[in-house]
Amino acid sequence: MGIESISFEKLVPDYVKRFEPYIPSKPDRELMKLYGCDHLYRLNNNENPLGPPPAARETLRRFNPPRAAVYPSGDSYYLRQKLAERHGLKPDQFLVGNGANEVIAFVIKAFCQEGDNIITADKTFAVYEWVAEFSGFKARLVPLKNFRFDDQGMLEQIDERTKILFVCNPNNPTGTYWDEATLRRFLDAIAVHQIVVVDEAYIEFVEKNDCPDGMKLLREYPNLIVFRTFSKMYGLAGLRIGYLAGALETVDIIRRTCVVYSVNGIAQEAALAALDDDEHIRRTRELVSREKAFLAREFARLGLTTQAGEGCYVMIRLPMSDTLAYRKLMAQGVMVRSMTGFRYPNWIRVSIGTHEAMEAFIKALQTILAKS
Amino acid sequence: MKDRNNALSLITYLNLVYVPLATSFSEESAKAFGLDRDGAMRLTLACEEIFVYLCQTGRLDEPITVEAMDGKYYVQVRFLFQDPEFNPRAFNLTARVSFDDTDSLNEMGLLIASRTVDRFHIAGTPRLGLELALIKEKAYSELADLNVPEIKPGRSFVVKTPEPESLKLFSRLIAAHYPENASPPAFRLPGKLVDMISSGEYGAALAISEGGDIGGGVLWRWVGNKTVESFGPYLFNQPSGAELANNLLDSCLGRIAKTDAVGLLHRWGTPELPRSYFEPLGTIDFIQADGLTTSRPVYYRHLNEDLGCRVWTHPDLEDFLQAEYGRLYFAREIRLIRHGGERRPAHSVFATQFDRARGQVTLRAIWDGEDVAENLAQHVAILKAENLRNMFFEVDLAYAWQANLLQALTENKFRPRLILPYGGEADVVVFQYAEGT
Repeated sequence: MGIESISFEKLVPDYVKRFEPYIPSKPDRELMKLYGCDHLYRLNNNENPLGPPPAARETLRRFNPPRAAVYPSGDSYYLRQKLAERHGLKPDQFLVGNGANEVIAFVIKAFCQEGDNIITADKTFAVYEWVAEFSGFKARLVPLKNFRFDDQGMLEQIDERTKILFVCNPNNPTGTYWDEATLRRFLDAIAVHQIVVVDEAYIEFVEKNDCPDGMKLLREYPNLIVFRTFSKMYGLAGLRIGYLAGALETVDIIRRTCVVYSVNGIAQEAALAALDDDEHIRRTRELVSREKAFLAREFARLGLTTQAGEGCYVMIRLPMSDTLAYRKLMAQGVMVRSMTGFRYPNWIRVSIGTHEAMEAFIKALQTILAKS
Repeated sequence: MKDRNNALSLITYLNLVYVPLATSFSEESAKAFGLDRDGAMRLTLACEEIFVYLCQTGRLDEPITVEAMDGKYYVQVRFLFQDPEFNPRAFNLTARVSFDDTDSLNEMGLLIASRTVDRFHIAGTPRLGLELALIKEKAYSELADLNVPEIKPGRSFVVKTPEPESLKLFSRLIAAHYPENASPPAFRLPGKLVDMISSGEYGAALAISEGGDIGGGVLWRWVGNKTVESFGPYLFNQPSGAELANNLLDSCLGRIAKTDAVGLLHRWGTPELPRSYFEPLGTIDFIQADGLTTSRPVYYRHLNEDLGCRVWTHPDLEDFLQAEYGRLYFAREIRLIRHGGERRPAHSVFATQFDRARGQVTLRAIWDGEDVAENLAQHVAILKAENLRNMFFEVDLAYAWQANLLQALTENKFRPRLILPYGGEADVVVFQYAEGT
């Protein structure tokens, strides 16, 4: 049957028709060819410039190719044991996914049905909104207040069909966070009527003492779910592995919508090896802190407004269109994140990279600003 | 048969016996959707012309759908049919009922139909389905007086989606504060503006103070599937360089940032437009009804990270493209078309889009043909006779055969003016007809 005879009008749900597909950027080689540059500093995805910790590298090196023919542990058995040990929880309180993006889908599928809604911020990690919308659920977006999640505004948006509230702490892209008192107040106000997801993808980068560790609150709040990832601090973005943690009875519900065997074996082993390397965390934090200080000086010299908080990224407001800046920087071999799509027109977000990459970025930025 | 609240459809057959059925359907739908008597009559006349024309050019008794839609500020009637045997040449504005009858100028049904409506377009292909659409806009009362409340500067404003009464005041404020060339005429008709926004085709964000004062506003509308056009920002008694203009544009961008839109086009600027938000695409010469020509800048803003694409070009257009892509920093793989003596179809077909209120027409090629230069010359002659002063031809660089139209365009005095990134399948080069060049 030819494609023309398929009646997409009838087959495709309206909420899928309305949804705009996300098209990721092309591989480096293609981009360099397109933009005519001989190098490319990728500073758009908040990756760790130090890569994976040494123990994880060693695990990857030792992987025996014939093992690729064997299915991995379907529920990341050993990794969950290790996570439980590290966080003082039970293994069944964890679910591991093919990147934290997958666990977002697990949670939404577990709790939402037709007519339900989720609540999050308008300027935050977009995947909560996307998964809700393309699954047919309404995403209620509450504007940030001073670059920060608006706790009161989110509470006011709750109705009887609200199932989940997503809080990115610290927030990507603004780097702001709720302190423990704010998070507790929020959870107390919700009581146990809705699920609260606290996405801690960047928690290992936080240097401030008052940023809460969601894992420590799980005993007190059975409706709290915490997301973590190995893509950022642990440098395993290419292997796609992340997880969620929650109360036993809550995770038991989510397990029903969880796709088993979705996490590959080598990712599970590398994550297991990475977890113990606190020295890697220290070295990464040191690099991020040093390069953020360098950028702060340079931005001040260039007279640019910035928004930098916790996390391995900084936002910069430009006196030009961010999407034009993106193209101009690409032509000089520097790739950043343009932020119109985050609803921050004329802002870009730059990931913290090596000093060489940061110098290249500043040089390219200076060039495009001089020409504009 | 009632499909939705705002659309009615009739399925009938291409046969002259059904002319009264099609015309009464069009007329009664137009009246039910709020067109006045004169408007409904004009739309009905156009529909009759189209139906008769299709009966004479299509296959007898082929099914056809006539669809009437209430667009709030207009009524649209569309003729939809799929007939692989339909002679696509009949879609040319210049086509006569009989291709052998060269002196039947009065029988150019499509042209006659286009005269009595505000907008008219032809699109599609015989294989995938053909569409002829006629649009007649509703009549609205003109502004009786231009008295508007004084807006004091320095107030604190919040950018909001407006209620109808705020919109009407906004419309009057535009008329009171800005010259006519700063906005499409419809924005100065308060009732029409309200209907345009409630149709969903247009969007608006207004800066409103706690006391209800309107400090300014911005409007936008969808143009096709991937482009949004913005208007303004219009500011009332606000200091120059006010942050308000940025806030209004931010609001517009926030509303469209996560949609299918790839680009934001801006052709109706005001002095308050923050230029740093946009990239200048070029200028278009606009010939007014009084014959005066004004040069209008066209601004653009890309809405996402450009992934680059491949475009086709005729070698003679390559320098223009290289220069423009270089200036705009769009990464493109430019491929040259090479004609190897292969045969082309005999006859070309153009789709036409009229905007009679602005004396404007846009042509696009939907079928290539050996006769393309001659066909274009005939179109130009007819459109000039119809007093359509502003003629454009859009070439989609996704298609090598369209890029190959350059020679015919040049011969007929069309010159490339600007590139509209992703204006079609790929980038679109907008050519403008320039008499005397």
